Amino acid sequence: MSALLEVRGLRTVFHTRAGEVWAVDGVDVEVRRGECLGIVGESGSGKSVTFASVMGLVRSPGRVAEGEILFEGRDLRALSVREMRAVRGKEIAMTMQDALTALNPALTVGEQISEVLEAHDETLPARGQARRAAIRAKSVEMLGLVGIPSAESRLRQYPHEFSGGMRQRIMIAIALACRPKLLIADEPTTALDVTIQAQVLELITEIRGRLGMSVVLITHDLGVVAEHCDRVMVMYAGQVVEAGPTGEVIANPRHPYTRGLLASIPRPSMRGQPIHPIEGQVPDLIGMAPQCRFYSRCPERRDACLAPVAMRPAGEGRMARCILLDEVPV
Amino acid sequence: MTPLLTVEHLSKHYEGRRGLIERVTGVPHTVVRAVNDVSLTVDKGEILGLIGESGCGKSTLGRAILQLNAPIAGKVIFDGIDVTALDPVELKNMRRRMQIIFQDPYASLNPRRTVAEIVGLPLKLHGLASGEEARAITERIVERVGLKANQLDRYPHQFSGGQRQRIGIARALVSNPEFIVCDEPVSALDVSIQAQIIALLLELKREMGLTYLFISHDISVIGYLSDRVAVMYLGEIVEMGPVDDVLANPRHPYTQSLLSAVPEIDAHGRRARVRLKGDLPSPLHPPSGCKFHTRCPLAIDICRNLAPLNEDVGPGHTAACHRLAERVSLMDEGAT
Repeated sequence: MSALLEVRGLRTVFHTRAGEVWAVDGVDVEVRRGECLGIVGESGSGKSVTFASVMGLVRSPGRVAEGEILFEGRDLRALSVREMRAVRGKEIAMTMQDALTALNPALTVGEQISEVLEAHDETLPARGQARRAAIRAKSVEMLGLVGIPSAESRLRQYPHEFSGGMRQRIMIAIALACRPKLLIADEPTTALDVTIQAQVLELITEIRGRLGMSVVLITHDLGVVAEHCDRVMVMYAGQVVEAGPTGEVIANPRHPYTRGLLASIPRPSMRGQPIHPIEGQVPDLIGMAPQCRFYSRCPERRDACLAPVAMRPAGEGRMARCILLDEVPV
Repeated sequence: MTPLLTVEHLSKHYEGRRGLIERVTGVPHTVVRAVNDVSLTVDKGEILGLIGESGCGKSTLGRAILQLNAPIAGKVIFDGIDVTALDPVELKNMRRRMQIIFQDPYASLNPRRTVAEIVGLPLKLHGLASGEEARAITERIVERVGLKANQLDRYPHQFSGGQRQRIGIARALVSNPEFIVCDEPVSALDVSIQAQIIALLLELKREMGLTYLFISHDISVIGYLSDRVAVMYLGEIVEMGPVDDVLANPRHPYTQSLLSAVPEIDAHGRRARVRLKGDLPSPLHPPSGCKFHTRCPLAIDICRNLAPLNEDVGPGHTAACHRLAERVSLMDEGAT
């Protein structure tokens, strides 16, 4: 399988009054055609900023400082604003965590879907009644695709008239309107109840299969990744610390942070036994020394971790950022 | 053993606001039955987990028990005293023994007060200690929850989410209460911080002999730390029982679908899928009969007309469903 998206050595910096924050520091990502890649990390791990960088959505005081972002072999960083606009929405689409703030409250759902079609869909009739009818038909089709009943009349409604789960579906419908090759879903279900979450995730997985697109699922929930993603990347403090096939990473995590994260999840089967949380908190990224970023919380830290630590192979199709891998045979 | 807390037929309704025309023409208030005829007990030293989706009334129930918003009907008996019948002074004294930890560690701490003031306030209000003594007690509890004594004079914004939640816990515990309503105390936190707070709450419970009503929408959390669990849907408890029993053998179709919707990390632990159609109905216009019937794959005619009553389905295990006797389970049928 060839890579659809390839990110190499991405570094994104935010200039703040307190100093420079390298929110993304040397991140490599590969998204293959048709796969679902899960990005797991806690707040501040850089998972959203990584993909905002890919989409060209990082604004001042932030800046993509280094790295290559290759989409089907084209470097997105080299594109003009205008060219990038043609990629966004058409080739790569993104859904945001909070559907209520991401949707425009003053426009009807129909208007918001047709905006995307107007901007990108070249198969539509050039003008006039035929164009309007085609846009309308496509909008109805999209709402139907994401499972919104009586789509025809709901196109005239505003976002506030929908429930949280429905709003998330509308955002997915807008994102998919031009049949992008890559959908980046940023915490699509974090704000939703479990029964609704399950509906939305299954919808994404089903549409992915039907349209043959790739999906990047950004989440903090390892359970969601376990059920829906082929491969997973674990991020911590702006870096990738572990990557590999989901089942193997969860069954046999190679980085102490991944192990700690898995041990932190309360499970009913563990009742009565103590859980072993990761001590401490995410380090301040301002003025971070070039050491292993997990050093301050790692139960297995040693002096050698105070030097920069690179990603290294950790088994078939797996990588991890830990010097212990050099000691223990894989 | 008599339970520490007994809730009997508790209801809390909210009335919608009426405009001038509605008032003049006598249109009745729209009523949200946030909590509707709920009965439960919590034994001393126990953790009762209360689970449900947003809008099901679980937080309203927690607050109604503490009289933070007065229930319109029903009784709350704490250690033999009917809390709903107390006058304001007695109620204030009672609050020393019943405390709450809130979900949002950002909104629940006064940004203009220092940690020492926030945590020390209950001591002052209840006249438990003052001056040097209050400071010493505050210091001790703040250190116990994992903060440093030299952080006492800082303001909430100088702390991370997890640390703020520790401040909230210290405030709840400083008056040495017996019963705590934990209202989604870990929902706003990252996984690794969530585990720290859960571990802390369990340690404190053991050390101080506390009793918790633990409200959460997260079944993993509830399953890990509760002794018993109550499942709420649209203001009513639909199933309640020992946590092992309810998780292994859920009898209400809502509990079954809730359990099967949770993404499971271990592939072998994965359950049969039960998928609910549609959203939670508006509590303004709750469905007739069994409130779950609009989403229930097992609904039959009687469910649309008649609300089911709680029935015993095992030792200490109750559920409210018309089809209990048939022992149909979504989890067998729904194995697709």
